[in-house]
Amino acid sequence: MAADLEEEEDYLSMSFSEPTESVKETSLQRTARLKKEAAERSRPLSKKERAEKGKATRDAALATQIDASNKGAQMLAKMGFNGGALGKSENARTQPIEVLVKDNRGGIGMDSEKKRKLRDAAEEVVGQEKKRKVGEEEFRLRARDEREERKNEGQMWSAMRTLESFETGAFDEGDDEDGGEDATKTKDAASSRPLKSINVLWRPLVKQRLEKERKRRARHDLDQSLSRRADYDDPDADADDKLALGTEVEEQLDDEDAELDEFEALSFVDRLEKILEELRTEWKYCFWCKYRYPDQEMEGCPGTTEDEHG
Amino acid sequence: MAEEQQTSRFKRRKMAPTDENNDRKNPYLAHMYGGDTDSQHDSGVSISDGASLNGFSNGGSSNGLKLKRHATTAKDAKVAEDGPHNYFKPQSQLSDRYFGILKTRRGLPVHAQRQEFLDMYQKTQILVFVGETGSGKTTQIPQFVLFDDLPQSQAKMVACTQPRRVAAMSVAQRVAQEMDVTLGEEVGYSIRFEDMTGPKTILKYMTDGMLLREAMNDHNLTRYSTIILDEAHERTLATDILMGLLKEVVTRRPDLKLIIMSATLDAQKFQKYFLNAPLLAVPGRTHPVEIFYTPEPERDYVEAALRTVLQIHATEPEGDVLLFLTGEEEIEDACRKINLEADDMIREADAGPLKVYPLYGSLPPAQQQRIFDAAPASFKPGGRPGRKVIVSTNIAETSLTIDGIVYVVDPGFSKQKVYNPRIRVESLLVSPISKASAQQRAGRAGRTRPGKCFRLYTEGAFKKELIDQSYPEILRSNLASTVLELKKLGIDDLVHFDLMDPPAPETLMRALEELNYLACLDDEGELTALGKLASDFPLDPALAVMLISSPEFYCSNEILSLTALLSVPQVFVRPAAARKRADEMKELFTHTDGDHLTMLNVYHAFKSPSAQENSKQWCHDHFLSFRALQQADNVRLQLKRIMEREEVELVSTPFEDKKYYENIRRALVAGFFMQVAKRESSGKTYVTVKDDQSVLLHPSTVLGQDSEWVVYNEFVLTSKNYIRTVTAVKPEWLLEISPNYYDVDSFKKGDVKTSLQRVRDRESRRAAVKGGGSGSRR
Repeated sequence: MAADLEEEEDYLSMSFSEPTESVKETSLQRTARLKKEAAERSRPLSKKERAEKGKATRDAALATQIDASNKGAQMLAKMGFNGGALGKSENARTQPIEVLVKDNRGGIGMDSEKKRKLRDAAEEVVGQEKKRKVGEEEFRLRARDEREERKNEGQMWSAMRTLESFETGAFDEGDDEDGGEDATKTKDAASSRPLKSINVLWRPLVKQRLEKERKRRARHDLDQSLSRRADYDDPDADADDKLALGTEVEEQLDDEDAELDEFEALSFVDRLEKILEELRTEWKYCFWCKYRYPDQEMEGCPGTTEDEHG
Repeated sequence: MAEEQQTSRFKRRKMAPTDENNDRKNPYLAHMYGGDTDSQHDSGVSISDGASLNGFSNGGSSNGLKLKRHATTAKDAKVAEDGPHNYFKPQSQLSDRYFGILKTRRGLPVHAQRQEFLDMYQKTQILVFVGETGSGKTTQIPQFVLFDDLPQSQAKMVACTQPRRVAAMSVAQRVAQEMDVTLGEEVGYSIRFEDMTGPKTILKYMTDGMLLREAMNDHNLTRYSTIILDEAHERTLATDILMGLLKEVVTRRPDLKLIIMSATLDAQKFQKYFLNAPLLAVPGRTHPVEIFYTPEPERDYVEAALRTVLQIHATEPEGDVLLFLTGEEEIEDACRKINLEADDMIREADAGPLKVYPLYGSLPPAQQQRIFDAAPASFKPGGRPGRKVIVSTNIAETSLTIDGIVYVVDPGFSKQKVYNPRIRVESLLVSPISKASAQQRAGRAGRTRPGKCFRLYTEGAFKKELIDQSYPEILRSNLASTVLELKKLGIDDLVHFDLMDPPAPETLMRALEELNYLACLDDEGELTALGKLASDFPLDPALAVMLISSPEFYCSNEILSLTALLSVPQVFVRPAAARKRADEMKELFTHTDGDHLTMLNVYHAFKSPSAQENSKQWCHDHFLSFRALQQADNVRLQLKRIMEREEVELVSTPFEDKKYYENIRRALVAGFFMQVAKRESSGKTYVTVKDDQSVLLHPSTVLGQDSEWVVYNEFVLTSKNYIRTVTAVKPEWLLEISPNYYDVDSFKKGDVKTSLQRVRDRESRRAAVKGGGSGSRR
């Protein structure tokens, strides 16, 4: 996955390496280049360019310390100077005072105010950029996780259905795990049983079906009766009324079911693992091989995980 | 003491005006005439207490009074001062004027602490004294010292240093009056190019630079029994060096006493530096000042300043305004605008009259005096008050005191010298002031009564953007001449010399390098013969070396004039209103080879008999600064004396000789070979040799654009880089006159190197041909 990401980034990157020029300049090219450079040099500079050039050379010189090859530096070294500051006082300066040429009439604090504003603006831009970048990265990671989750969930439901078909006896070798008519038949059978009696490993499947059915009915009721909304709670209605109206079903579904809650608190992967374990031990069936082995040895099955099944 | 002060003040009020008017006009003495400006003296009244309690007979003559050195009291001094004979001049009777001034003096804040001062002074060798401006410390403390130190008994003197020449002169004059002696006798002054002292002198005011010069020939300053460094808070280059030097001298001379006087309260730094010397502080006469900040930083500080001044005029009660700006041009411009706006306000809003005065260093003294004029009177009785506005550089921050200021407007900038060794540029730049300066400026509003200070920046900016203390000059200067001085002072270990704020090592490296190329220091950093000679001239090393080597180029007379001209302010005047006319006049003197030669032409014309007939008028007509030329004339005379003393020949090339100007240009190279620029191929810009800085010729130059190589006197840093005062030179001269610096092989690759290589090859070919030619003839 990580490798994928890197590839993706590389793909987005704008930089690309260029093969280095190794061709030698011909004498003609050289003459042309020199001519061009000479022309550039002799071109009269505009006032602005001159000022900029002057400032640039000055700033460069101001930033360059006098080096040890300087005659004065050598003389000072001979006098016993070896770095640091002169004199005997503490905190003596080692650098010359900065030269700042003021070229406007801005008051004290104006320059730093301008700088501060500029910095704030720059920081804001950088901040947004960063936020955006973080977002991209996060999105990519989240999307990956979600994909994984969806896959696991799908596999879990699929395994549940397989288990259901085994337990209800609807399993048919070679049949698709969410088999057609048989499945419908088994569903009906399951819905007639009390929910808590069903194996917790596939109980969610039944519960889901019941909930779907209830919603459908509620919608149907709403369509049939304009006078009563499904979610309307009539204080005068007694238990019988409620049962008659079909609202009682809800109570049944919402009943405390600690076993189911516990199971559903597990992650999809863990739930899937439990179901597959049940399938293997109880039914000698491998979800990955899609094959029911004749004995507990399950000879021919490469392992218990999806990866082992390549 | 307090009681005496009160009575004397009370009496003074009744007294008639006398002849203190001369001093009154002196900006440096304005503090003498504090809040109660009507204070005058009366010779008839003498102070009655003290003398008899003292145990000394008050029998008429102070001649018999025996003061014991370093064991006197304030009362002893009082007896001595009360006369009737002058203690330091026993034959002479004290004058009426003396007694009048005495009373004024005894009302000064420092006087109240005279005994305390004496106790400390006697106990310790080094004393730090803090007194705010207006406390009277500059005039009184040296006199307090005189009566206890009694230098005449040791055949020594008391020295008091000042950062500025004018201050040294005017304070000496005032103190001579206070002591009832003739200036130049018991009390004198010594400044560069002027020594006003004599054999009787016991108190000498001098610039700090002058004392430093004396120390060069007298390492222990043996002529002095007490040295007072005044205005130490200004941290001038010379004061800083003196402090470092004196810190060593006091250990060699236990008999020497040292007083460091500062006007600001950062005195702990001085105390710490001088090994925890005791401190005495005298409060100044100040009132509270309310400080206002702007809510937002200002977009344009000049515009904001003008707005604030006008708003004060429109809304605030009576009181004068002091606005701090950075330079002459900005100040003159601001004055014009305030005047225009004020006229509108008077016409339209019934505002009171407003007078605006500029104040900056280069303003003629007569115009500087105008800031002491009284504020204009209201147009009608009971009408809106009149007001004066003074727009000043930071000259008004510490060095002079203007009474009546109640409002201070502080944009937070001043022009400050900066030096950077990396690009070797020393320039005046507009920079933010320090917190200490801002406080000092605010304090100016509280001299007369409670005032207000309007800071044109936010409180946050004050806290965050301003440094605590201004950088001392030593961190902002080229130290070439300082290093030469230190060497001459016998300081061999420059690396560990204990300065209060040691400069960056690179600054010292650059100074050593420059002095080495100028052949003033050898490779070991020792003074050469040329270096010793150069340090005798009160000049920058480059100028000194140029002057000393000028006889080799047969033009020492001319170079002497030029050196003098380069040591004084700008000689050309170019008023905004008559620029065209001024430029036309300048053209009369123009020499197309450069500004140096043009300046020399000006000087020669100025010295011509026809101009000297009425030189002031002549200068005015030709848009030249009479003051600057006169000053140059004086400097030239002083330098000439030193040349004669040091036996530097004074010679000239005949004017008719076609090499007359060329010789001068060659002599220029001998001093300024490190300040050379070469034109770039693009035409307009130049590039400085070695530092590779892109520069433009300053618009004021007379030089045509066709000069490929130029020497320059000054690198001016602005938003553009300029070189000012330039003269054309030839590259072969550079190679010939300064082969060490122009070691072409050591140059960085580039246009300069290539050009110099070409010149070198051409020269060597020429030499070969010549050599070959002469050889074949033989």
